[in-house]
Amino acid sequence: MTSRRRRATAVTLTAVGWLLAMGTASAHGGSLAAGSRESLTIPTWLFLSTGGAAVGASFLLASFVTDRVFIERIHDWGTPLSGGVRPAVWLGRAVGLVGFAAVIGLGFFGPTTPQTNLAILLVWVGWWAGLAMTTYLLGNTWRVLNPLSTIALVLPSLDRDYPTQLGAWPSVVGLLALVWLEVVSPLADEPRLLATAVLGYSVVTLTGAVVFGRETWFDEADPVERVFRYYGRVAPIGRGADGRLRLRLPGMDLSTPRLVDGRDEVAFVVALLWATTYDGLVTTPAFRDLTTPLVDAGLPAHLLYPVVLAAGFALFLGVYRLAVRSSRRTAETYLSPAELAERFAPPLLAIAAGYHFAHYLGYFLVLAPALGLAMLSPLSDPGAVPVYDPPGWFGGVGIAAVIVGHLVAIWVAHAAAYDLFPARLQAIRSQYPFIAVMVFYTMTSLWVVSRPEVPLPHL
Amino acid sequence: MTDHDYDVAGDESAFECRYCDRPFAHEEWLALHKGLDHPAELDDEEVQAFREAHDEEESALGEFRLRALGALVLIYFCLLMIYALV
Repeated sequence: MTSRRRRATAVTLTAVGWLLAMGTASAHGGSLAAGSRESLTIPTWLFLSTGGAAVGASFLLASFVTDRVFIERIHDWGTPLSGGVRPAVWLGRAVGLVGFAAVIGLGFFGPTTPQTNLAILLVWVGWWAGLAMTTYLLGNTWRVLNPLSTIALVLPSLDRDYPTQLGAWPSVVGLLALVWLEVVSPLADEPRLLATAVLGYSVVTLTGAVVFGRETWFDEADPVERVFRYYGRVAPIGRGADGRLRLRLPGMDLSTPRLVDGRDEVAFVVALLWATTYDGLVTTPAFRDLTTPLVDAGLPAHLLYPVVLAAGFALFLGVYRLAVRSSRRTAETYLSPAELAERFAPPLLAIAAGYHFAHYLGYFLVLAPALGLAMLSPLSDPGAVPVYDPPGWFGGVGIAAVIVGHLVAIWVAHAAAYDLFPARLQAIRSQYPFIAVMVFYTMTSLWVVSRPEVPLPHL
Repeated sequence: MTDHDYDVAGDESAFECRYCDRPFAHEEWLALHKGLDHPAELDDEEVQAFREAHDEEESALGEFRLRALGALVLIYFCLLMIYALV
């Protein structure tokens, strides 16, 4: 029976893998790397249902593990790390400041071709692709590297009280605003514009840090700091409850209670997941066809993008809240909906990290040589830009990332349910609605990557 | 597992834990909860109730595993057939 089970999973997983390989994901932020999505050779409905079935099958497999002690042992496994951290912090801060100065300086005064401008390459390739990947693969270094946080150290603080009812909502709005800006403006093509945007963001952030205090601002309101902090929770290296560095199995920190505290933080997790989808959604032909009548009817194109961004976010959040309500019923529990929402949101971060990796690994590798060259000679404008040409099997790495992200998410939610409910069947039943939501998220994302890519319509 | 928020509607009858006041929808779940979260405080009757609830749970889980396996095999063969035909 075991071998049959294994074969079933193997076949489902290979099928998804093969399917995803056909629709290679392309990264945004990047007309830099001209990667285009290829069309599928099988019907879309089959592609989507295979993806959904793989998630469902993983859940069924996870439900075979019913030994509480075994689950707890896996999640508690870890070893404390020690070492001279102080000099590393200073070095990290210095590196962050140098990078910041390079982005501003070369953004305004460097070469104007995007593939040779260090500001563009550093922000999109080095930071948003490369550093973000190390954040969920190794650990969060952004809290040290963050140049604005370092600058805020030496600024005075008015220490006004941060309105507690605002919570993480400013960072939710900030994240959606940044995603909108990244999609509709040529931030990856025009170094001057990028440097201006970075400068504007720095002014807002530093003002916030001065008014409300550095710790409060970066803990609550800054969207970028929060993105990296959340991705960092997927990583094997992180800080334990006692504040000391600790090595764990990747993703296991996500089952910790109170990791996400309050509906504002749940909203941020969902926003992070939605951002990945929106990025690709706006370049699908279906989006163009659906919105053309709206634009023809007189809806300003510049209003269209934020409206779709907000509406899609509301849909993703609504679906998640619906799942929470329905989970209360299937698990027959008296725990409050807010509590369930907080416990089962962190696993979604593993899915978001998996999609990020699938989108950006190729992008990073292709442009890494260009980044290296620009670092060596930031002011010259070489005629030919070196790029890495990934081998044919490379598509498989991204697919594996998507699958691993889902497996980790399902496993972590399984463990959180076991921690929360006394009856094991109750724990399994509590997951039905969340698995349905994961299937919905997966199928949406797969649908997006399987569509041909068209230029942003109406702009 | 002690500081949770609960939401019990007025007309519902819940089984409450006498150690931490956590409400449950079924008596067996309360017995399991007591055994898992307050193992040192139980009297003989509660220990007995936990054992019975645990045995019952084991057999229910066995049944669930069979059904889950059935579902897995079904997914596998459905996809196999569809891929053979499409």
